[in-house]
Amino acid sequence: MSTQHSKAAKKFLKNQQYAHWHDATFWAVRSKRDNMAYGLDEWEQLREKASQIKRHTITHLDEYLDQFATNAEKNGVEVHWAKDAAEFNEIVYGILKNHDVKKMVKSKSMLTEECGMNPYLESKGIEVVETDLGERIIQLKGQAPSHIVMPAIHLNHDDVGELFEEKGISNEKGNHDPTYLTYMARLSLRNEFLTADAGMTGANFGIAETGDIVVCTNEGNADMSTSCPKLHIAAIGLEKVIPNYDCLAVFQRMLCRAGTGQPTTTYTSHFRKARPTAHHMHIVLVDNGRSEWIGNPEHWESLKCIRCGSCMNTCPVYRRSGGYSYSYFIPGPIGINLGMLRDPLVHSGNVSACTLCNSCQTVCPVKVNLGDQIYQWRQQLSEFGTANPQKHLMCQGMSILYGSPGLYNFVTGLAHWANFIPAPLMNCGLNPWAEGHKMMQFPKKPFHEMMKGKVRSTLGSLCTFRSKNSEK
Amino acid sequence: MSSKEDILKKYRANIREQFDMPDLSDIQAITYPDPLMQFMNMIKSVGGNAIEVDKGRDINEIIRELYPDAREIASNLPEITIATRNPDKVGRARDLNGTDVGVIRGVFGVAENGCVWIPQTMKEKAVMFISENLVILLNKSEIVNNMHEAYARLSAEADSQGPMGKSFSDYGYGTFISGPSKTADIAQVLVMGAQAARSATVLLLPE
Repeated sequence: MSTQHSKAAKKFLKNQQYAHWHDATFWAVRSKRDNMAYGLDEWEQLREKASQIKRHTITHLDEYLDQFATNAEKNGVEVHWAKDAAEFNEIVYGILKNHDVKKMVKSKSMLTEECGMNPYLESKGIEVVETDLGERIIQLKGQAPSHIVMPAIHLNHDDVGELFEEKGISNEKGNHDPTYLTYMARLSLRNEFLTADAGMTGANFGIAETGDIVVCTNEGNADMSTSCPKLHIAAIGLEKVIPNYDCLAVFQRMLCRAGTGQPTTTYTSHFRKARPTAHHMHIVLVDNGRSEWIGNPEHWESLKCIRCGSCMNTCPVYRRSGGYSYSYFIPGPIGINLGMLRDPLVHSGNVSACTLCNSCQTVCPVKVNLGDQIYQWRQQLSEFGTANPQKHLMCQGMSILYGSPGLYNFVTGLAHWANFIPAPLMNCGLNPWAEGHKMMQFPKKPFHEMMKGKVRSTLGSLCTFRSKNSEK
Repeated sequence: MSSKEDILKKYRANIREQFDMPDLSDIQAITYPDPLMQFMNMIKSVGGNAIEVDKGRDINEIIRELYPDAREIASNLPEITIATRNPDKVGRARDLNGTDVGVIRGVFGVAENGCVWIPQTMKEKAVMFISENLVILLNKSEIVNNMHEAYARLSAEADSQGPMGKSFSDYGYGTFISGPSKTADIAQVLVMGAQAARSATVLLLPE
């Protein structure tokens, strides 16, 4: 009865020591987020405003996109539109080819991950160098991100140290000190910045009123990627566009507080025009499903997401199963929902990775109803044909059982006979409940029998107590 | 190739219900009794350094004291007489690599998070990031409480002249910087000096 997610999680849980560290690390990030949130009296007001701004913006996005593109073009920026991943990759390759680019440095972008851009460009002979330290580490390792903000969180300092030795980035063998390794990566990446022909950034926000794109980083790698190379390409998902600076102030204040528990990222950079000594700046706006998702009555609000990562940091299932247990490239609650919008046949195994505790939607800075949406997806599994047949059968059985009181009372009256079934028979592979659980002992008398006559008398005495008190 | 019109048409057709823009004027944003003190505390908490400069002191002297071993100092500010490089005059941006100290001017600071707004007012913005150490000059009276005030000010002043007679709109690039470049990407250990400046000092200048 295990889903794709729970099977993958088993691998993650094999290393108990690491699994515990992972859980504790993300809980610490969640606690830092709480400190930030409690530090501002207006936090909940900001969440409500942020949610309302996003609801308004994504339901008027055609107008804001038009305004954004018009203003960016006024600033001398070339704006491109891509309907899907393939077209996005072709557009980017076209721009790079026109400028005879051999090497491109880039800052973090979940969109380029979504579109599979790096392998595409590499197949065309263009070298792509990730410059966010975490992204660089997993690129060298040939892996995908396991978290959207902390992509290399699945590796420890020894893993990174050995990787850097192998790739010739560090030269002191056995020195796996994070400060040393970060410094060696800095030297290596500095060389890449100086010798690249192009720089690519994603965008945290596009501002319709000014045509700016805004990129938030702690490392300064987006700024380094665009400071020396002569060409800047920015890749933006449609939903990143917001109306104006007043709205930006709300999101800038929340993004980092919610995501990493910092008051701000080190750099909040506004790119409005190309550098005076560079070529035209290019912005590629990417649809890739978004124009369909806005029409989904139950799931359109996933487009409000600002990719802060707070929903995965707090998720008890993510914390205890890691990013690689999910089939979609974005893990955690938002990834479950975006994966289902992308392709429910491929990603429905993820909807079981949820306890419906709703911690995600309690912390989400833009109030995406993540847990509610996961619940909704679960109701549709039969429709997609991806429901687990065993669970489906059990549910049918349960609705008959709970639907007829006579049958229910009869069966619960007999339940204690199950205690006499020999343990090896109960704890075998045929009984999915026994996996990871100890079988329970059924009481001799069902709850109903035990409470018969008692409930009324308890209620009665409570009422007497109340009326006596109110007389006083 | 699909056009802007195709994508927008499809998106528009699929919108089911439209929502109004909320009123943002009633946000009860945090303010501080002493914004300058809060700003300085925040700079320190994000790993930066903030120093109040006494009236009459020479900034060049202070920079020398802070970085006695610095050989290459880059700035286009006329008051920085110890500069050995000028980001307005370098041939290529990469020629600024190897800068020990970059000196730039900020327009205003933000008390809630230690950010300083720095529009590009030099030909090569690389100086803000490529330098090993960054020194930001800021008038200490120019501190706003929070990002709402910051962006309101930015909207109002985007075209007004800042340092070197340039406005944000001229070069069309500007950034809020709060402390030095940092990362925790290796095992969540915080390290200062990822890809950009390894230290950041704000010199708060008197009136």
